[in-house]
Amino acid sequence: GRRCNRNPSFSTDQKSFTMMRNTILRRAAAPLLRRTFSSAPEAAASGMTLNFSLPSETIYAGAKVSQVIVPGAAGEYGVTADHVPVVAQLQAGVLQIMHEGSNEAEKYFVAGGFSITHPNSVTDISCPEAVKIDDIDSAAVSSAFEAAKSAFAAAEAGSADQALAQIDMEVNKAMGSAVGLSL
Amino acid sequence: MSTPTTFWRLAGMSYTQYVTRAATALRNGLKEPAKTQAMRNEALSYNSATWAGGKAGSKKPVQVLSEAGL
Repeated sequence: GRRCNRNPSFSTDQKSFTMMRNTILRRAAAPLLRRTFSSAPEAAASGMTLNFSLPSETIYAGAKVSQVIVPGAAGEYGVTADHVPVVAQLQAGVLQIMHEGSNEAEKYFVAGGFSITHPNSVTDISCPEAVKIDDIDSAAVSSAFEAAKSAFAAAEAGSADQALAQIDMEVNKAMGSAVGLSL
Repeated sequence: MSTPTTFWRLAGMSYTQYVTRAATALRNGLKEPAKTQAMRNEALSYNSATWAGGKAGSKKPVQVLSEAGL
């Protein structure tokens, strides 16, 4: 039974008043307590849409793909149709595009940028530069990494030079991983 | 502005400077002919003009942004 009925110290009048008050409060609050949901998103027709562009060229505009694996700065994540909206800064790494009906991913190495996934399953990826993995020169990457590592060690802590060396190190290390080197 | 947390912010760089440097590092690690092609995107030039009374003054090319007072 209701709490007011169980309390032996309540008089009959107090009990009926309490019950009435509780009912009124519950009914008044009902509109506020009623659960509401955001309007259901339109179901994605099939798969997701990808817009992938660089300042110098548009790689994909309105392409229907099945999945994109994005190198987010906070971690790599995959986007498929109906993914929750996300805005992510990208780190230097491999962007994988899975086309519909294909098991092989198309890979690009990106230097950074942003990926924005909208509620309507459209993903916009914008990067300052993106290249095919095959175009990466392992020897150049190893030597650039070593040079950046020395520059980092030689630079004053917290200086702009050290930050530049760190950027070079991070990008070259990521490029190395993309081609199978461990730097 | 809230306290910077990224190493490049702490070193006084903006996001644009950071990502441009990352793109440069990427382009330097490429094989030919991709490298030559990518280096074309590397070229940047700046012009500086001072505005007064709603009108732009004459443009002058600057080599580095610090020359323009930035």
